[in-house]
Amino acid sequence: MHVSLLMIFLLATPLTASLLMAVLPSRSVSTLVFEALHAVSVLTIVLLAGYLIITVLRGGEPIDTLGGWFYLDALGSVFVFLISALGLLTGWFSLSYLRHDLKAGSIGAVQFKQYYTFFNLFLFTMLLVVLSNNIIMMWISIEATTIVTVFLVGSYQTKLALEAAWKYIVVCTAGVAFGLYGTLLIYANAAEVLLDPAQAVLWTSLVGAAPQFDAMLIQIAFVFAVVGFGTKAGLFPMHTWLPDAHSEAPSPVSALLSGVLIKCAVLVIIRFYIIAVAALGPAFPQLVMLIIGIISVVIASLAVFSSDDLKRKLAYSSVKNIGVVALCLGFGGPLGIAAALLHCVMHGFTKALMFCISGNILMKYGTRSLKKISGIVQVAPTTAVLMIIGLFALSGFPPLAMFIPEVMAFVAGVSAGYVWIVVILGLALALIIAAFMLVVSRSVFRKAPEQLQKKDLGFMILAPEVIMVVVIVWFGVLMPGPLLKGVESATAIVMQQPDQNVLHNDPLLKDFFAAGELSGSNVNE
Amino acid sequence: MSVFILTTGALIAIVLPLLTGLFIVMCPQKAARVLAIVAGVIATAATLIIWCGLAASPEEALRVSLVTIGKVEVIGFVFDRISVMLAACFVGIGLLITIYTVGYLNEGNREHPDLPRRRFFAAFIVFIGAMAGIVYSSTLVGMLVFFEVTGICSWLLIGYYGNENSERSALKALILTQIGALGLFIAVGYLFAAAGTFEVSAIASLSDFNKAVLLILILIAAWAKSAQLPFYMWLPSAMVAPTPVSAYLHGASMVKVGVAVMARVLAEAGAIPEVVGWVIVVGALATLLFSFFMYLPQKDMKRLLAFSTISQISYMFLGFGFFVFGSDLAFEGSVMHIFNHAFAKTLFFLIAGAFSYTMGTRMFPRLRGVLRKQPLLGVGFAVAALAIAGAPPLNGFFSKFAIFAGSFEAASGNWLLLAIVVVALIETVACFAWFLKWIGWVLPGEPSDEVAAAAPLPKTMGFVFVVLIIFTVVSSFIAAAWLG
Repeated sequence: MHVSLLMIFLLATPLTASLLMAVLPSRSVSTLVFEALHAVSVLTIVLLAGYLIITVLRGGEPIDTLGGWFYLDALGSVFVFLISALGLLTGWFSLSYLRHDLKAGSIGAVQFKQYYTFFNLFLFTMLLVVLSNNIIMMWISIEATTIVTVFLVGSYQTKLALEAAWKYIVVCTAGVAFGLYGTLLIYANAAEVLLDPAQAVLWTSLVGAAPQFDAMLIQIAFVFAVVGFGTKAGLFPMHTWLPDAHSEAPSPVSALLSGVLIKCAVLVIIRFYIIAVAALGPAFPQLVMLIIGIISVVIASLAVFSSDDLKRKLAYSSVKNIGVVALCLGFGGPLGIAAALLHCVMHGFTKALMFCISGNILMKYGTRSLKKISGIVQVAPTTAVLMIIGLFALSGFPPLAMFIPEVMAFVAGVSAGYVWIVVILGLALALIIAAFMLVVSRSVFRKAPEQLQKKDLGFMILAPEVIMVVVIVWFGVLMPGPLLKGVESATAIVMQQPDQNVLHNDPLLKDFFAAGELSGSNVNE
Repeated sequence: MSVFILTTGALIAIVLPLLTGLFIVMCPQKAARVLAIVAGVIATAATLIIWCGLAASPEEALRVSLVTIGKVEVIGFVFDRISVMLAACFVGIGLLITIYTVGYLNEGNREHPDLPRRRFFAAFIVFIGAMAGIVYSSTLVGMLVFFEVTGICSWLLIGYYGNENSERSALKALILTQIGALGLFIAVGYLFAAAGTFEVSAIASLSDFNKAVLLILILIAAWAKSAQLPFYMWLPSAMVAPTPVSAYLHGASMVKVGVAVMARVLAEAGAIPEVVGWVIVVGALATLLFSFFMYLPQKDMKRLLAFSTISQISYMFLGFGFFVFGSDLAFEGSVMHIFNHAFAKTLFFLIAGAFSYTMGTRMFPRLRGVLRKQPLLGVGFAVAALAIAGAPPLNGFFSKFAIFAGSFEAASGNWLLLAIVVVALIETVACFAWFLKWIGWVLPGEPSDEVAAAAPLPKTMGFVFVVLIIFTVVSSFIAAAWLG
């Protein structure tokens, strides 16, 4: 069987599962059926995605299908990895979480069915984003993720949830419309330049033709694309929807939104960044990313500190981290790009973990207000330990995963000569640390309220979280060779160097990789 | 072969405590202290074996790359005269304090009756491992990693009592040192951009300008951790921690991180531009004078000790500064002072803790006639106070003497530097007088009410005091003989 067919299967799996669930009646069919369909879907996605990623990285060649509309290269693989791995883990977490909600009466059988239907549709749309090579399709699929997740955000149908869902759809569609404008500008320009105008929608041919594009037009188009898709990624100035939507959604969905979806939008920005760099040289695109990145970081850090709601804090921290990713792209150079990509992966796992844990706390305390949560360590000791590790990781402490891209970002920033930006970034980080440490000392420690039952949550809830913690520690202590290899190949694509071993051959980094082959276990910071 | 033993030993001293910390969290509460002590004993033994190993080896210094990516060393160890001595000191004192804690954190404590929670021992043992890591690290990245880990541990420990005040103090310590750490973060990037490596020894090959920038960046981080101006604020607030924690923070961990990092960096930097020396010396003098004036209003023994630590650390920085101006003796004196001060200050704090434990107060006005009622505490108090004040034959005298002798040597011919040394010297005399005053107040005479009603001293504490008193007397000879 041809491997490109598998890409179709990968897309078809969650879509089919979702459609099947949609046609099944919610009241007469047992909830078990929905759960089983969901489980089969997320497991199949992991298997197919794993096989495809390995094929791409081993072969060193991208795969495409359906006339080049769908395309998977090393850059996309990094994000497919995130979608599939976190789709499985949050999907697993969803099982117990939804049962709990059903039992508690905060959702009914209809919403139960809706949840799994849209969850799988959500996975499908995200896969569509990262696999599409057609820039119009990228825009469409980004819009599709918005439409699908609006229903997930509004699952609880409370006033706040509906308001958040409404704000989400209004701000996002308005914002992403800018993205469409940028996309169309590039398409129009390409259609003039390229011999075959049908090729003008395909990203792969755009990159090749980029040096002939009109510089002024591409500048405008790039700013529009960054603002537009940046809306979806949660970048300043259109980040306002994110804290509402990510905090009102059911926790596993928050985990996917913050852990994965905003990274998919980052991928689209990176694709446009590549075109812009090819057309204009690195100075202008980097300047744009730096400005937007540092403003996002500062504003979000202040908001993280001042927010009283656990999930809002986490959501603002996502804005901050996406800002860091933008900054890394702005610093540029192989180290900066690699830091941006690694930061996406590490932050994805860490933030997904923290949102799942916020789910534990909701189940236990019934509130997200940090003023009312205290003594988690007495009420649910395992959750408390996982939460402390998660918060340390989010604050960027070693030896946890996010420390590595953080140090890389500092090194990249200083080497690129942006010392002041690095100083601001460091101060913002100190603020984030303060905010999260206060959560630990006030909510995790201190005395628990009397009436709470002192019993931790069940195995099925804790198991996916423990796996995420293990991943965070593992990636922090011994980064697996294949991940680094994948990031390196992806960096080569962003840098547009034919040389896959871009980190190995960079003048600054070559000593790092002088030994030629990396062995998996020796990358440790 | 011997390199292998040293590396394994260092790994045991660092990794075993870290793992034990994780393990303690998962074990029943009662096992926590036993596990911590066992891990502490093994780690201490490992550092002592390393010390002997280096002594037996013909080499001056041994270097091991632990984690390399290609040719770039990311984390590595260096075993030389400074690192093996300081590691044994920091880890060993950590062990002694752990033993003391078993006697301190219990229901018999008159100031803070409490059962020890696992959190305490977990954070404490991790702290010990991280200290070993800081000292052995030969790369800036390694230092940064352990620097941050000590930040977390100190945060957990300072906030241990969990009230509003201790939470705020813990956060203050973490954030101020984190802001300082920014210097180290940027230094990592700067060194890599300038030399393409993270190894501290690469600093020697940099141009004068780069070297000065880099050293001042690291100096900022060292100031923050070592509670020097302008970052000192966290240390007096950190007094809300349980006393064993204060003892470790002051004696052999937090504040020593800064000076240990500085010692390592300066030792390997080769010829250093004078501007760095000026920055260090002026900073040290400012802190010195400031902390002396802060002595005067203090009534709480622990707060007095906090400012005394700040000024003692300034002496070390002063010595480093004069090393830049060309005096090796001043540098040796500073390193010796790190070692000596560790024992004396730990002893002093633990005595303060014993006052709280047995008498329920550590306020000077209420402590009189200790010698008659609690002779061991009285002797400990006298030894510690005299050592801090720098009276011969106690350890503090010798290291301070070396610092000042070296400073005079380097300062001769430069009136401004000479003036600085003289001011610092006057400060030590004043400090001496101030400590004598309190010795005269606390020790002799009839016991006050609180002292008369004192509970008996737990055996574990007594054991720790005896060991520390002995070391406070002899440590200077050990250090002098070893550093030569």
